[in-house]
Amino acid sequence: MSSDTEASEQFDCFGSTCAALVIGDTAAHSARQAAAQAKHELLDWHGRFSRFLADSELSRLNRDPRTQVPVTTLMARFAAAVRTAASTTGGLVDATLLADIQRAGYSGELHAPLPLAAALARAPARTPAKGSATQRWRRLAVDVDARTITRPAGLQLDSGGLAKGLFADVLGERLAAHPGFAVNCAGDLLIGGAAEITRAVRVQSPFDARILHTFNLSRTGVATSGIGRRSWSAPNGAPAHHLLDPATGRPAFTGVVQATALAPSALMAEIRAKAAVLSGPLAAAGWLADGGVIVFDDGSHQVVQPPAVVTLSQLSAFVQGTRKRALQDA
Amino acid sequence: MDSHERSPRPTPPRPPAGPQQLRARALAADRRAAMRRRTRRIRRSVAALAAVLFSSAFLIIYVQLASGHDPALAANAKRQAKSATSVQAQTTSVEPSTGTASESAEAAGSESTSGSSASSGEESSSGGASAVTTSQS
Repeated sequence: MSSDTEASEQFDCFGSTCAALVIGDTAAHSARQAAAQAKHELLDWHGRFSRFLADSELSRLNRDPRTQVPVTTLMARFAAAVRTAASTTGGLVDATLLADIQRAGYSGELHAPLPLAAALARAPARTPAKGSATQRWRRLAVDVDARTITRPAGLQLDSGGLAKGLFADVLGERLAAHPGFAVNCAGDLLIGGAAEITRAVRVQSPFDARILHTFNLSRTGVATSGIGRRSWSAPNGAPAHHLLDPATGRPAFTGVVQATALAPSALMAEIRAKAAVLSGPLAAAGWLADGGVIVFDDGSHQVVQPPAVVTLSQLSAFVQGTRKRALQDA
Repeated sequence: MDSHERSPRPTPPRPPAGPQQLRARALAADRRAAMRRRTRRIRRSVAALAAVLFSSAFLIIYVQLASGHDPALAANAKRQAKSATSVQAQTTSVEPSTGTASESAEAAGSESTSGSSASSGEESSSGGASAVTTSQS
């Protein structure tokens, strides 16, 4: 295989579709081998982190009656991500609400989602979400080096989107030596590579799958979160979805139905996207410091452009280019 | 009292200045004032020149980058254009290229590979790096 070709693996995983795209070979792996390895890893992690599999590492951790539980390095990193997400968002992005989400009706694989427009028509009044008063996440402590998680028995973790963002970042660390790569963990993307090749990242509408905006990016994390896909009807007929308001433990209807966030890592993008949806239309843009797209209840959307920052390498390349041109002219 | 302490030297009484001496003093004062004005003018000119030079350089670089003529990106585009010539055989899960990544949103939407049941779709762009689609997972 030429060092310039792109190898691609696209497959079902995490109840959705994942993909690994790798451009160019390294001394250790060809692009095709690297993409296949990424697929293998993601399928393996799905088995370990699914809360729907009784024997998964996550299910065993959630059942474990001990206060301090030894775990694998990846599980420790996930728990650390849970803690980071909650502390950076003031408890808005809280992955310790597993009991609440099961109570809301999400206790197994979901079937076809509710049509978003119809669900919104029957949804309660829009209110921004808030952190929970109990702040259970504060009782979670992680030692990644010692690979232990300390929490009161009964405090359960939900892998949700945070795990997908983390997996994209972990695979990104392994693929960094390739000239270009993109890892798509069910909507959480990490784009990078040694050659900083620009790639089109398209943001899809939750209403009709139309492309709302295209970013051209070479090194970034991207995540989209929203209430359109993992949704269902509660026994009383009320629309429900997987993004809970931590303050009430019930699905949040804030006026924002989807947010896409750009960030230095896929995990941080996932945290920002969730926080943007949960914080409502007035505060959503404040979470998108590196850019993104917000989609509102009425179908309209707002593009938040990435900040126009001139990096040192860009400045240096510009100066070198100018010098070269001046020398050529001379 | 300390015997080493010096008593202030008595200043001799200044003889009254004549008209010529007064004129000389006025002239000296004028010259000193002129020198001060000149120093101030030179200092201000240097500061203004530095500010103008910095602003112009900043503006030139800013306009160059903001108008999409980023040399670093241009270098990337060249590299991609080079690699595009060799990107013909894609794996079966990627659709063939239909355009560049910067095509209009509507056009891109119509060629999305994922449909409503999948959260992501990839297709090759002419630059060698496939476009990726992000949507709710």
